[in-house]
Amino acid sequence: MHLRGLLWLNAVFPILPVALLASAAVEGRVELPKSHSAPVQAKRYQIVTKGGVLSTQPPLAVVYLEGNFPQPVSLPTKQVTQKDLTFIPSLLPVRVGTKVEFPNLDDTYHNIFSYSPAKRFDLGRYRPDERPIPTQVFDKPGLVILRCDIHEHMRGLILVLNTPYFVMTDTNGHFRLDGLPAGHYTLKAWIDSRTTREKPVELKNGETFHVDFP
Amino acid sequence: MSPAEQPRDKGVARFRTRLFVAMMVIVATLTGLSFYLAQRKVTADAERNLQAIFQTELSSLDKLEELRHAALTDRCNALAAKSRIHAAIEDNAIDLLYPSAKDELRGLMEGEEPPPEQAAQSLQAKFYRFLDSKGAVIKPLNPYDVGKLDAKTEAQLALEKLPDAEQIGYIQENTQAGGGAIDEVIAVPIFSSDSGEVISALVIGFKPLELEDKHTGMKSGIWTNGQLHLPALPRFTQASLNDKLASVLANSDKGENYFRVDVGGAPQLVFYKRLNPDSLFPPAYEICVHPLSYSLAELHRLRWQIGGAGALLLLGGFVASHLVALKLSVPVKKLALDSEENRAGRKRAEAALASTAEELERSTRYSADASHQLKSPVTVFRIGLESLMAREGFKPEIYEELSALLHQTHRLTGVIDELLLLSRMDAGHLQIASTPVDLSQVVDEWLDDLGALPDSPEVKIEKEFPRGLFVAGEKRYTSLIVQNLLENARKYNRPGGRIRVSGCANGNNVMLTVGNTGRTIPPGENIFERFHHSSTPSAASGHGIGLNLARELARLHGGDLRLIRSENDWTEFEVRFSAVDGVNGVA
Repeated sequence: MHLRGLLWLNAVFPILPVALLASAAVEGRVELPKSHSAPVQAKRYQIVTKGGVLSTQPPLAVVYLEGNFPQPVSLPTKQVTQKDLTFIPSLLPVRVGTKVEFPNLDDTYHNIFSYSPAKRFDLGRYRPDERPIPTQVFDKPGLVILRCDIHEHMRGLILVLNTPYFVMTDTNGHFRLDGLPAGHYTLKAWIDSRTTREKPVELKNGETFHVDFP
Repeated sequence: MSPAEQPRDKGVARFRTRLFVAMMVIVATLTGLSFYLAQRKVTADAERNLQAIFQTELSSLDKLEELRHAALTDRCNALAAKSRIHAAIEDNAIDLLYPSAKDELRGLMEGEEPPPEQAAQSLQAKFYRFLDSKGAVIKPLNPYDVGKLDAKTEAQLALEKLPDAEQIGYIQENTQAGGGAIDEVIAVPIFSSDSGEVISALVIGFKPLELEDKHTGMKSGIWTNGQLHLPALPRFTQASLNDKLASVLANSDKGENYFRVDVGGAPQLVFYKRLNPDSLFPPAYEICVHPLSYSLAELHRLRWQIGGAGALLLLGGFVASHLVALKLSVPVKKLALDSEENRAGRKRAEAALASTAEELERSTRYSADASHQLKSPVTVFRIGLESLMAREGFKPEIYEELSALLHQTHRLTGVIDELLLLSRMDAGHLQIASTPVDLSQVVDEWLDDLGALPDSPEVKIEKEFPRGLFVAGEKRYTSLIVQNLLENARKYNRPGGRIRVSGCANGNNVMLTVGNTGRTIPPGENIFERFHHSSTPSAASGHGIGLNLARELARLHGGDLRLIRSENDWTEFEVRFSAVDGVNGVA
């Protein structure tokens, strides 16, 4: 159910510029690290730490087009919920300036905070029926590690990007970005907290560019 | 006291003295040895006692430390589990580390300073610091919350790597000032709740637990970083003790020991024990200094007591040895006396023996000389008489006289020969050539001669003698024996008496018996003595050589001559000869 929600999100946002016919697209595959652990129950993504490196489990990548794009007046609000003592989604790519809500869907208190350089915040303890839902605006690009002061095992990631063009790969690493502007850009693939690969792309209207990240 | 007794008594006294001295030496040695051992034991006991006290105190300290460490470990584990601490360390938000820990450690840092007697039980920390992944100290933004430390002191908290178990260390504050307070620091690792790796360490500083100076007079302190911290001692004393400790600890591979040292002119026993074995922090030792003045006084007293006991023992030993020596010397004295008498007797006997031997030798020599000196004139005399006999023209009475004189010269020659033989025998020069001698023949010859003698009284001769009775010997001497016996038997016989000669073989011997009637020999008279003269005067008396010579010769031949009986007008001699093997078998 959540997966479907994610896919829906992934589908809708890049579609907006699709109204303009003259647009480019990129597709390809990111070589994802092998998953060592058993398949996760209920297909929830989790954040795992290994040697101080955070990544999703099973591995997923975020592919985005880096460039100077005009900042829109307003951005839609996103959500990272706390359900069953996990963050859902566990990895959320957002554009700089996005406001994210942190609704508590558990029967217990949560205290979401982050000490990450990209965003330090502390929502304090709050119950499921806390209104208004605690929110944060992420106005600086970078990786934000979400933690709960009460449930120390909980981890969530918000990847704050300075671009409207980004997409999450599927579990096999396949991705497709549509409605991209033509021009010279750098296409990046975030794989884990320490690994981001990049490739220069020459985008032309009406064409689909193929990029593989080894 | 006689002169002989004087050296003897001296000898006994010397023996007594020696015995006494030997016993005293043993007693004194034993006393000295036991004195030495007792003193050593006392010293060792005193030191062991002190060590036991030291260890007891330390072990109570250890228990307090354990409590403290357990509480701290709990605290640190709770801390390590905290999300904010993790977030601060893992998400590179070091500035938020101390603020995040502040709430958790507030209990440690705040609160009133506990009274000294409860200081041990309390967890009142003086400061705390976190170490980063390399073991370096993470500097706090606001040192007042975490306990202010100067840079030098703070630097001592760093470790070369993060510990994987708690580490204990001792640091000295204000090292430049010297004599600054010692802090006990405990470094506890903080494990990542995700990976289990050590991500940091919390170092907490405390006032060190101190040994209580109760009644033992012990002064305790801590030696760390080459510096002794023992405020109870004057600074100068500390400095000199510090040098000593540095050299001892540098050479010691033991975690715990003690040694004696003179500090400020007073002897001290110094105990040390490593407080943080295997720690990443520099080694630190608990040092206890115990003045020995009190125990030395005690030792002195004990020494006197033991010495007194030793002296008493010595005195007792003296008296006992004296008594024992006296008692033991009594039999020795008696022994000495006896041996003295023995010696005197022996000396007398030796002297007598020597004089006898001398006399004997003299007489032997005399006999030989006399015999030789006599022989020549007698020969001259006889030859003169014989030539006179050969001349004609004398009256018949003169010829009778001459014949009697000639007979006497023959007797004289016989006596001289016998004397010569005896002296040769006495000198041991007589050798006999043993050959088979027909004793029967010898006896027959002499019996014939006996009848031919001019002055022989009328006696009847009985002979009971087997033929061919052979004896081992030299014929001359065997003949001489037989001649002597037969002549005596005739000479001492009475007129109308008889002589009986008998012989028989008896195993390895041949026995010759010569008996005669006539005057008997009184009992107790030693007729075999040389130059013996009968106690009862008689016309028929010899010169006292014959029997003696005969017996000497018989003995020389391995036989003997003895008087069998002399009573009731009958005297009987028996000669024993050695038989010749195999010849007398049929006798």
